[in-house]
Amino acid sequence: MQSTDRPVASRLAEKQADAELVRLAQGGNERAFQALVVKYQRRIARHVARYVRRAGDVEEVVQDAFIRAYRGLASFRGDASFYSWLYRIATNAAFSFLKKSSTEVEADERSDQGFEPGVTDEQSPERILFARQIGDAVERAMARLQPELAEALVLFEVEGKSYQEIAQMLGTPIGTVRTRIFRAREFIARRLEPVLGPARDRRW
Amino acid sequence: MSFKASQLLDGQLDREEVERALEELGADPDARDRYTVYGLVGDVLRGNPTPDDGFSRRIFERMQRERARMEPGFDPLKD
Repeated sequence: MQSTDRPVASRLAEKQADAELVRLAQGGNERAFQALVVKYQRRIARHVARYVRRAGDVEEVVQDAFIRAYRGLASFRGDASFYSWLYRIATNAAFSFLKKSSTEVEADERSDQGFEPGVTDEQSPERILFARQIGDAVERAMARLQPELAEALVLFEVEGKSYQEIAQMLGTPIGTVRTRIFRAREFIARRLEPVLGPARDRRW
Repeated sequence: MSFKASQLLDGQLDREEVERALEELGADPDARDRYTVYGLVGDVLRGNPTPDDGFSRRIFERMQRERARMEPGFDPLKD
């Protein structure tokens, strides 16, 4: 019985994709763990934001989740993908946060101070606009991209196909898939630069 | 290096190559930025265009501040 409708090969590929980074991180390579954080923070933040509304709280919960993952890295055995392990840790972190904040709200209500009902979503208009600009820039870049490059990138990023599957579907060597995905990303990245602003703001 | 960053992101490198790529990323802020932006592009295509704004960096800063360490025997899904 399959739990998702995605092809088995894709899910296997996903499971293996982070194997080396995880193994290195488990062996104490901090850069390897950082590479995993950078790769997954946005997906984890979106997941947490389903439960926790204030942007500042989402950030705190995501940090909690990654710190717990780091502390417990040795317990990750690779039975599931690293991402699905992180996802479950983040779910738990979100529930702990909600439990803690509801206790605090009760305490605040008892002492009748400091609690302001209705103060929830603080996703600023600037951030919403920034996200929209990023989305638009990627869309515009995709429209100008050579179709065979766009096709390879979409098959990988959106359809979740492995390099191997893409090579089979397109009838090209796997090396061509590597190059096309890279060239597509580079094309879009260059067009994103003016929107994103100085790299130092997102340096790690 | 940008090509390697793309390959690293997709799990296309073997162990030695990953180690080398991480060393190179460590020494090259622009390559780290490429890795970050390539990841962003994927998330945007999946409908999540949230900017980074130093979000990752603040995770690492807090880890450092709190001296986060790996703890053998700690299971984040149980403990």
